[in-house]
Amino acid sequence: MIDNAFLSIISVAIPASTVVVFSATGAMVTERVGVLNLGQEGLIGIGAVYAVIAATEWGVASPWLCLGIGVLAAAVLGAIFAVAVVIFRANQVLAGLAIALGGVGLANQLGTNRNGSLYPSKFTEESPFGLGGAGQIGEAFFRHYAIVYIAYLVVPAALWFLYFRTRHGMNVRAVGENPAAADAVGVNVLGMRLWYTILGAAISGCGGAYLVLTVTRSWSPDIARGRGWVALAVVIFAAWRPFRVVLGALLFGAMISLDFTAQARGWDLPFMGASDLAFLLSMLPYLVTLIAILTPAGLARLGLRTRGTIAPGGLAIPYFREER
Amino acid sequence: MNTIRFERRATSDARRSAAFRVLGAVAGILVAGLVLLITSRNPFTLLGDAFDANFGSQRGLEETAIYATPILLNGLAVALSLRMKIWNIGADGQFLMGAWAATGVGIHWAGPDPLVLLVMALVGAAAGAAWILIPALARAYWGVNEIITTLLLNFVALQLVLWATLGFWRDTKSAVVQSAPPVSANLPVFPGLDFLHIGFIAPLVLTAVLWWVFRSSTWGFEIDTIGGNPRAAAFAGINVPVRIVLVMLCTGAIAGLSGMIHLSGYAFRLNGGISTNYGLSGFIVAALAGGSFIGLLVGGLFIASMLHAGITLQAKGLSTYIILAIYGAILLGIAIGEVAARYRMVRERYDPATEAVR
Repeated sequence: MIDNAFLSIISVAIPASTVVVFSATGAMVTERVGVLNLGQEGLIGIGAVYAVIAATEWGVASPWLCLGIGVLAAAVLGAIFAVAVVIFRANQVLAGLAIALGGVGLANQLGTNRNGSLYPSKFTEESPFGLGGAGQIGEAFFRHYAIVYIAYLVVPAALWFLYFRTRHGMNVRAVGENPAAADAVGVNVLGMRLWYTILGAAISGCGGAYLVLTVTRSWSPDIARGRGWVALAVVIFAAWRPFRVVLGALLFGAMISLDFTAQARGWDLPFMGASDLAFLLSMLPYLVTLIAILTPAGLARLGLRTRGTIAPGGLAIPYFREER
Repeated sequence: MNTIRFERRATSDARRSAAFRVLGAVAGILVAGLVLLITSRNPFTLLGDAFDANFGSQRGLEETAIYATPILLNGLAVALSLRMKIWNIGADGQFLMGAWAATGVGIHWAGPDPLVLLVMALVGAAAGAAWILIPALARAYWGVNEIITTLLLNFVALQLVLWATLGFWRDTKSAVVQSAPPVSANLPVFPGLDFLHIGFIAPLVLTAVLWWVFRSSTWGFEIDTIGGNPRAAAFAGINVPVRIVLVMLCTGAIAGLSGMIHLSGYAFRLNGGISTNYGLSGFIVAALAGGSFIGLLVGGLFIASMLHAGITLQAKGLSTYIILAIYGAILLGIAIGEVAARYRMVRERYDPATEAVR
C-alpha cells in the first residue's frame, strides 16, 4: 500500500498518462513526416470503441487481440485522413478537424447502449526484474501492465533509434523538414507521408484501446475528454523528440490524475471546499498545457532560448512536386 | 492512346472553389447516408422525418431559427478570423463564457429588462473577447499557432460552467438541480410568434455589417491584405499584430454575444449542456462558406436544420452523435472539394514526339 502522496500520484499518473503518451507519440510520428493530424481525439475514440466492441460483442478473449482490433480501426480512420491530405493534398487543418469530429461522433454512436458496462481487465500487471517489490517506490514505478512499459520505454527507444541512428530515419526526418530536397535525392515523399501518417494514427488509436481495456474498463461518451488535444500540445512542448514526448505526456497525465487524488484523499484549501477544489483542479491540465505551449515561444522571444521553434520545416504544408 | 491527366491550375477562382466545396459537402452527406443505410437505418425516411421536423410545423420552423441564431453568429465569428487565415476553434468556449458571464449579471440583478439585457450583452461579449485574449496576444506577438490554444480553452470554459452550475451558482430552490437559477430578463419573442426571440435579428444585422466592412472599408481591405500575405501587409505599413489582436477579440466578442443571446432568448438558465455544438457547427458553416458572409447565411440555416433534426429525431434513430459524425464527413468533403477546384482534367492524345521528349 502506498501512503506517500507524491508516490500515490505517480502510481496513478503513470497508467493514466499512457493514453496521452500513445497519442502524443502517434502525433509526433505523423508530424515528423510533415503531416499535422489534428484528429487525435477521434483516433482515441475509434480505437477505444472498437476495443470495447471486440471485448464485449465479438467475445474476443485475448486482450492483446482486442487492443489490435482497436489499433486497426484507428489505422483505417488514419488511412482516410492520409489519402485526403497526402494524395489529394486537402487542407490538413480542415481534414484533421473532420477526423476529430467524425471520429468522436462515430465512436459515441457505436458506443451507445454500451455505457458504463464494466468488464474486468484481462491484462495482468507485470513487475520487471522484481522491481515492483522494492518498497513503495518500486510499487509506484514498476507494478503496471506490460503495455505501459511498451508506451514509456520500448516505443520511444525504437523511434529514437529509427530517427537518429538509421538512414531510413534520416530520410523520414528529411521528408518532414524539406520534402523538396528529400524528393530530389530520390526519397518517395508521398509514400513516406502516407505510411507514416497511417502508422501515427495506429499508435494514437492504441492509446484509446489501452484506455478502455485497462484504466476505465467501461465505455462512456467522449472518452478522450480532450486528451487528444493535450497530446498535440505535448508534441510542441517536447520539440518532436521521442523521450521528451513521453516525459511531457507524463507531466500532463499527472495533472489529470491530480484531481482524482485530491478527491480520493479529501484535500481542501482554507478558502475552498473539496468539491470546489476538484473543479479547479479539473481545469488545471488544460491551463498548464496552454502555458506549456506558450513557453518555448515566450522564452525565444525573451532571448533565453536561441533556437526558437523547432517544428519540422514542412509541417502542414502539402507537397506539390510541380511547385518545387 | 489517349490518357486523362489532372493538371493543377495556376490560380484559384473563388466561385469555382465555392461550388466544389458545396459539392464536397454534398458528397460527405451522401457517404454518411450510405453508412446509415448499411447500419440498417433508412436515410430516406429519416430525411422525410427531418424535413417534417424542421419545416412541417410552425414550431419546427421557429426552433430551427432559434438554433440558427448561435450557429450563424459563431459562423460569422469564425469566418471573420478566417479572412485573416486565422482559425478560431474556441468559439464553443467563448459562447460558454458569454453565457456564463451573462448569467452572473442576470441572476444577481433584477432591474428594468432592457437595461439588464444591455448589460448582459456587453458583459457576455466582453467575456467572449477576454477568453480569446491570450491566444490572440500569443499569436500576434509570439507567433504561437492559435488552433490548439483556442481549443484548449474550450475545456476550461466547460469546467467553469459545470463548476458554476453544480457549485457556486447552483439553483438550490428548483427541482432542476444541475443548473443556475433563471436569469431575470429574457429577450422578447417576435410579435405573432410563439418561441422565436428577437435575437435572431443579430446574425442578420451582423452579416450586413461585415459584408459592408469587407466591401467598402479600409479596415476590411487591410484584413484581407493580411490574410493574403502578412509580410506584404507589414511592408505596406499595416500594423499586423494589432490588427490580429483586434480581429480575434472581435470574433471572441461575437461568439460571447451569441452565448448571451441563446441564454436570454431560449435556454433562460445556465447548465453544462447549454451549447449543443453551436461553436463547431459555426466552424463547419464558416469552412463551407470560405469567408463569404452571404454564403454563410444559407449554409448556417442548412446546418441549423440538420442539428435541429438530429436533436428532435432522437427517438427515430438520429442523434447528436450521428450529426457530429456527419459533420466530420461534410468537413472532409469540403477540404477535398477545395483542392479539387484547383485541378483541371486534361485529355491528352498520345504523341510519340512529346513522349520522347518527356
